Amino acid sequence: MTTPVPPTTGTRLRRRSSRLFALATWDRYCIWAVLMAAQLVGLASGNPPTALDFARDIRPILSDKCFRCHGPDEASREADLRLDDRESALSNEGREPAIVPGQPEASLLMARVTSSDPDERMPPPDSGLTLSPEEVARLERWIAAGAPYEKHWAFRPIRRPEVPVVRSSWARNPVDRFIEARLQAVGLEASPPAPRRVLARRLWLDLLGVAPRPDEIEAFLADRHPDAYERLVDRLLASPYFGERWGRHWLDQARYADTNGYTVDSPRSIWPYRDWVIAAINADMPFDQFTVEQLAGDLLPHPTRDQLVATGFHRNTLVNQEGGVDREQFRVESIVDRVNTTGAVWLGLTVGCGQCHSHKFDPLTQKEYYQLFAFFNHSEDANSVAPTLALPTPEQQRALAELDRRIAEAKKLLKSATEANKPESSPGGEKSKSNSRDVEKVKTKLKEWEGERKRLVAQIPTTMVMRERGKRREDFVMVRGDFLRRGEPVRPDVPSFLPPLEAQNEPPNRLDLARWLVRPDHPLTARVFVNRVWMHLMGAGLVETENDFGYQGSPPSHPELLDYLASEFIARGWSLKQLTRLIVCSATYRQSSVWRDDVARVDPRNRLWARQSRHRVEAEIVRDLALSASGLLSRQVGGPSVYPPQPKGVYAFTQRKAQWPTSQGEARYRRGIYVFFMRSAPYPQLTTFDVPRMNAACTRRTISNTPLQALTLSNNAVFLEAARALGSQLAAIDGTDAERLEQAWLRCLGRSPTEREQKILLEYYRRQMELLQTAPEERAAIAEGKTASAQQAAWILVARVLLNLDEFITRE
Amino acid sequence: MARRKRAIESPADPRKWVANRREVLRSAGVGIGGMALASLLARDGWARLANVPHHRPKAKSVIFLFMAGGPSQLDLFEDKPALRKHHGQLPPRSYLDGKRFAFLKGTETLLGSAQKFRRYGECGQSLCHLLPHHRKIVDEVTWLHAMKTDVFNHGPAKIFVNTGSAQPGRPSMGAWLTYGLGSEADDLPGFVVLQSGPRGPRGGSALWSSGFLPTTYQGVPFRYGPEPILDLKSPPGIDRQRQRDFVETVGALNREHLAVVKDPEIRTRIAAYEMAFRMQRSAPELMDLSGETQETLRLYGATPGKPSFANNCLLARRLVERGVRFVQIYHTNWDHHGGPTENLEKHLPAICREVDQPSAALVMDLKRRGLLDETIVIWGGEFGRTPMGEVRKTTGRDHHIDAYSMWVAGGGFRRGVIHGRTDELGLAGVEDAKHVHDLQATILHLMGIDHRRLTFRFQGRDYRLTDIGGEVIEEIVA
Repeated sequence: MTTPVPPTTGTRLRRRSSRLFALATWDRYCIWAVLMAAQLVGLASGNPPTALDFARDIRPILSDKCFRCHGPDEASREADLRLDDRESALSNEGREPAIVPGQPEASLLMARVTSSDPDERMPPPDSGLTLSPEEVARLERWIAAGAPYEKHWAFRPIRRPEVPVVRSSWARNPVDRFIEARLQAVGLEASPPAPRRVLARRLWLDLLGVAPRPDEIEAFLADRHPDAYERLVDRLLASPYFGERWGRHWLDQARYADTNGYTVDSPRSIWPYRDWVIAAINADMPFDQFTVEQLAGDLLPHPTRDQLVATGFHRNTLVNQEGGVDREQFRVESIVDRVNTTGAVWLGLTVGCGQCHSHKFDPLTQKEYYQLFAFFNHSEDANSVAPTLALPTPEQQRALAELDRRIAEAKKLLKSATEANKPESSPGGEKSKSNSRDVEKVKTKLKEWEGERKRLVAQIPTTMVMRERGKRREDFVMVRGDFLRRGEPVRPDVPSFLPPLEAQNEPPNRLDLARWLVRPDHPLTARVFVNRVWMHLMGAGLVETENDFGYQGSPPSHPELLDYLASEFIARGWSLKQLTRLIVCSATYRQSSVWRDDVARVDPRNRLWARQSRHRVEAEIVRDLALSASGLLSRQVGGPSVYPPQPKGVYAFTQRKAQWPTSQGEARYRRGIYVFFMRSAPYPQLTTFDVPRMNAACTRRTISNTPLQALTLSNNAVFLEAARALGSQLAAIDGTDAERLEQAWLRCLGRSPTEREQKILLEYYRRQMELLQTAPEERAAIAEGKTASAQQAAWILVARVLLNLDEFITRE
Repeated sequence: MARRKRAIESPADPRKWVANRREVLRSAGVGIGGMALASLLARDGWARLANVPHHRPKAKSVIFLFMAGGPSQLDLFEDKPALRKHHGQLPPRSYLDGKRFAFLKGTETLLGSAQKFRRYGECGQSLCHLLPHHRKIVDEVTWLHAMKTDVFNHGPAKIFVNTGSAQPGRPSMGAWLTYGLGSEADDLPGFVVLQSGPRGPRGGSALWSSGFLPTTYQGVPFRYGPEPILDLKSPPGIDRQRQRDFVETVGALNREHLAVVKDPEIRTRIAAYEMAFRMQRSAPELMDLSGETQETLRLYGATPGKPSFANNCLLARRLVERGVRFVQIYHTNWDHHGGPTENLEKHLPAICREVDQPSAALVMDLKRRGLLDETIVIWGGEFGRTPMGEVRKTTGRDHHIDAYSMWVAGGGFRRGVIHGRTDELGLAGVEDAKHVHDLQATILHLMGIDHRRLTFRFQGRDYRLTDIGGEVIEEIVA
């Protein structure tokens, strides 16, 4: 045994590893006695230990408290011990084994975590980490049980589980049985279904992101078929708004924006990619195909134009156009972003750590990171907007072909004319003169056509696409993530803890990677995707850390349900619409979202779904709701981004004094998804309501609730315009004030007001009307019209109140 | 009228907000609605629930005078006779190996400063003649002369100073501080950004972004004039009385619905509308400098109604007086490369005239009002400028990231201290070289925060302002 080194000498690392061997047997015995006593207390208090599950009970302890120094990262590993690997933990090579299966008292690990000596104790006191007595006891039981290791749940194959048998009249489909089984186990009852009006508005908001019209709700209420709800769902799934609503979720992950980012942040044209996403979702393109076309559409045999447009997914990275930048540096930055985004979006893993060092918690090595990097390292773009693809309409294409034909002909004519004019071939002066007149004519025409061609080309939209470079770059590990420090050479490959790559290309390329991601036996892709769909519809994911399915992520609340949904998703042809239908038709989804104190006590975070979640809608939907409730919303789908009015002074803080060519006519009333997105100064209403910055993939938006939001809703020109439109319509209704008010509520909230609500708003209306009777100027200002009546202006103020209600911007 | 008073709380007792929030938390069960509750107006930082501050703070607020473009330390604070002596010569070969610059080709020669320098104060800090007002504060501030950063392009470097990372997407210092400590302002945002000069700073909103923290904590840019916040003004035809009726009616209806669905988030919404209403009055009042004495206006060189760096410095004082946690003022343009629009001959003196007096005035004004002890003032840019010149018809210098100057004052920094020394040419730090992360760690330290422990989990990793670096600079802490 090594002699203990006094704590004042030697490096930290040496001290620790020598300390590892220094614990006296007597100490161990004492600790042991204490531990056993703790166990006895546990037994006496009547908590018989349940069966241990490695993934649930043990790995989180090891991962949180040990892996930082005894985990997968070789660079920060202490004492050459890794506890994430059973072989290493059991090894007695050069030291005592940390774990002796079945013998906690002989396991160094137990000795160290129970030591009272601060120099011995693990985790070390200065790490700020501690183990609770309960955690220590758990480790002890685990070692006593033979210290079985098990693959992390998310890396195990998806298994279609048995649907639990639950005696219930509540369940509508298998989803509910998984939910109900858990609720019964904790003694909670599901909430009753939400009223049909609430359900209708919920569906409209979740599936389309616009307010239902009163007649649409009435039609649903009047439908007495037993499957009226399902029929409504099918109708909404077929609406072109569905692609916009769900396309937006995807565009967050694609970090789509209309400018290049960084400081210069000039405009770019990549909106055809945005439209591709909307169209693909509307067509319910299977998610495996959706994946392959975006990641590697250019590498498919004879790719179609659409498949090339789809590769815009990874062209949404930033381009730094500042003077004096190192192109290679920013090219590498964009590849890093592509690797990290692919990891976050499809694998639900935080691979980004691997850029600088092996992952501290997940089994991804730095080398494996650069193997993933190597898939993306060979595209042509290098901190550049190019390559782009021109997208002429058929007419433009025809016109272009015609012009090209004429130009070529004219050039040919000119060429032969020049040759004919050469002295040796032109003996007569007469001929030459007429010839030169013709030449001049042709020259003029040529100039004209070339100008026309230039103008035509300028009108043809382009989009940024992915293209492989002719010559391959070298692939190597970048030491500490620094692109100037070359490490070991690598070739494209996937992490070893996931299924192997079955490449059809040599060397493997993006197409191989994309196909690997959507292998039916891939443990992550389908789980990650269905979890996010659940999150959008139910307020939180079954795996709450929707972007971390690794060791540090939270385990699924309903692992079987997650696997059920994932296997259904694959079995139903990777169909988003079918998956959405499955979830929204469940009784779980249809529950009321009304707060319940009993649920809050047992399940404060509502992770068991004894009620629906209630949450504010996203930034774009806040806009879309105001425009749709007031009848202003444009129904046009797709096209270049638009510039609705924004407050003056937005660009006071940007480097470039950017132009905001405020749109006129219908373009002012397009949906939020079409608003021109400038990365350095996004549209303020969107920012105020938590739109992500689009610099990196965003898999979940935050939801804040701030005074700036109140200012936007109450004073912003767009919302005022909506209030004016709605107010004027209300004023024009032929009926009583109460009837008008009823209409106002139906349009904004999909329901009738209660008596008290009616009274509050009616009083407000009368108060304001009275005041406005004698205030013609204010009246005119409010209604933006000199002839406005007090009544008209007061209805605008009423509409403004409704557009500002919490309920208005909330999905209940 | 009595009803109205109840509905709209008069400029409230700060404790009430905390109590209100606690009540929300209690009735909700802590942790409910996670982020959503965290959003409560940034009045009460979310992290306050997790033992922040970590230790007794010395400072309460920060004013960062951001000299956008990168001021030339060699023409302002660092008198280098050797540079003049070797003027026109190539720098030592050994120095250039492995170094990267934005624009230099490697053939540029050393450029001695054309400015006149003298030493001032007890600390003996040298100042060029373009900074006469700085002479009054030399012994009030800590001078940092061997600062270094990682990136040499403006946008990424500015993002680096603010967020600790060169990539956009992380929270800026102001966001971290309001997240950690909340704000003491009851009717203003906790993190305010002001700007002056010919254009906005490169990097845009990424510089004051809340990154992955809730947007409540992002910097709110104040524009000049009576409507500093977008959409602050009620629409035409709606006076204060009518707006009050509106806010009350919205509140009354929200309360009706709260009684039915019982979601505590509705209470937050009601509070947000009430605070917005107060903000409509307090923000224009803040911007109105007419109540300041002539003497104060003269001290700063400020003219009410005329946007300037001077006005912004005065506004910064008014903001911290009102409890705002973090004020950042961007002033462009210090990017003196040489050439017709940004050279050392003409444009350096011009920007010094804009910046010198108000910077010094801010420190003196805070001091005489007893605010300097609790307010940190930071002066500096995203990097400095090279000893080698860019010589055209006019002269300038390139971006230099290895050694440059900043100064800090108040809030627990030592007074009249010169920290950090560079070699005789100003190429690199040779003594007490400090990294941007070190300065960030020190500022957080003075605000009562351990920079290693103020973290936020995002995409599976705990992020912090200082990334993976940063050591508190103990020598400059009083």
